[in-house]
Amino acid sequence: MVGASEAAQMERLESQVDNGGGGAWEYLCLVRKLKARRSDKVLKHGLSILNDHRARSKLGAEEWTLYEQVAFAAMDCQQYDVANDCIALLSKQFPRSIRIGRLEGMLLESKGAWAEAEKVYARLLDDSPLDQIIHKRKVAMAKAQGDLSAAVKLLNKYLEIFMADHDAWRELAEIYVSLQMYKQAAFCYEELILSQPTVPPNHLAYAEVLYTLGGLENLQTAKNYYASTIALSGGKNTRALYGICLCSVAIRQLTKGRNKEEKEVSDLQTLAAEALQRDYKQRAPNKLPFLLSMLKNMKLNS
Amino acid sequence: MGAECCYEVSQIAYIKLVLHALKHRSAAVNGLLLGRLRQDGGATATVEIADTVPLSHSQIGLLPALELALIQIEEHFEAQGLSVVGYYHANERHDDVELGNAAKKIGDHIFRYFPRAAVLLLDNKKLERLQPSKGMDPVVQLYTRDSSKSWRQTGSDGSNQLTLKEPAANVVLLDYISSEKWQEIVDFDDHLDDISKDWLNPGLFN
Repeated sequence: MVGASEAAQMERLESQVDNGGGGAWEYLCLVRKLKARRSDKVLKHGLSILNDHRARSKLGAEEWTLYEQVAFAAMDCQQYDVANDCIALLSKQFPRSIRIGRLEGMLLESKGAWAEAEKVYARLLDDSPLDQIIHKRKVAMAKAQGDLSAAVKLLNKYLEIFMADHDAWRELAEIYVSLQMYKQAAFCYEELILSQPTVPPNHLAYAEVLYTLGGLENLQTAKNYYASTIALSGGKNTRALYGICLCSVAIRQLTKGRNKEEKEVSDLQTLAAEALQRDYKQRAPNKLPFLLSMLKNMKLNS
Repeated sequence: MGAECCYEVSQIAYIKLVLHALKHRSAAVNGLLLGRLRQDGGATATVEIADTVPLSHSQIGLLPALELALIQIEEHFEAQGLSVVGYYHANERHDDVELGNAAKKIGDHIFRYFPRAAVLLLDNKKLERLQPSKGMDPVVQLYTRDSSKSWRQTGSDGSNQLTLKEPAANVVLLDYISSEKWQEIVDFDDHLDDISKDWLNPGLFN
């Protein structure tokens, strides 16, 4: 999860470095920390440091971290020679290292040499059978070749052993969504909510999947999780506010005629509608008319 | 649909679509096509795709954002006499040229309201090969629904052809690509994350 303020800082640094204002190393560190995918910028600015003898020696031991980071970026930008050079330097410095071995595997992956990459990973797993990153590379390879059912199988096996890997649960959920296997995606988000109960994106994603599944019970649960998202994010989550409105309309359509809990439930809807209107008035006034007419049609506008 | 039907896509619609895909290279993206049906007299008709609104670059299979977008987008474009006439999609993987199930489902939904609905799928190989000297060929494939309710790719056999309205559209596209214009594109997802971002992308081509 990328914190909003750090993300903003990264954007600022990016434009600063792009315009020649310095701060390249700080930018690269932040990209690494936030695990952002900015490969073309990383490649450009990383190489400018590595190719400058003085700048490079100023880094000290961090120089090797930068070589690794640039190698990844180069692979992402199909600059295989650059990646190869970085990896060669790294393996000279750290012979027989698994971490470098993984890089070699990834270089093969990026070139589409799946069979060779498999061999490299199999060899590394022999020495280190519980290496999580290598197991996940196998999932990535399945996904990259378009074999989503293999990816799902591998991920499920992985999660049986490493069940605390939140990123893996999230990845599995997203693959399930792309396959329209919403029940299974919901299960993944349930695991995430159990282990990370105060992380709003988990609640939000769960609510969105439940809404997509549909049916009265799911819609009511979705509404609860949209509400918990709002509570956990200090009322600032636009998607959750909209979600409350969408759920209310859908529930009302399914329970036409029944009167239970209408009054109590409508307070939440009205509050959500009001919060949206306030926010749009302030930050997106040109879109306010669409919001208002949508709320009117949903009968949420008082 | 027995009658012949042509599909004509305007430069802004076309370019926005490609730029959206280029902004999110490692993800699938999608969006809505806005336009109108023009009767040309006789049995032929043309679907004019006048504009596009980029929708998502993540979790494309989920409904809430799609529903919100359809409501607000329809409302906005009604005033200009345009309605949703189709959907575009760009796959996550470079060499994936299949129209996936999520895309077909959304296409089906739009088909219910507009029977000549078009689904455009970005063809990455064509985009890669695009050069300024040759190429009035759009870098997207057109799919329409045939009588057996499945989405069929239209060929160059005459009926249901896709053309670029402005012949220089590819030249302009290449120009924008080299100036990295895609950085500025905003989709509905971006708007939901920060409502001050405008999914209409006004001033994108100024």
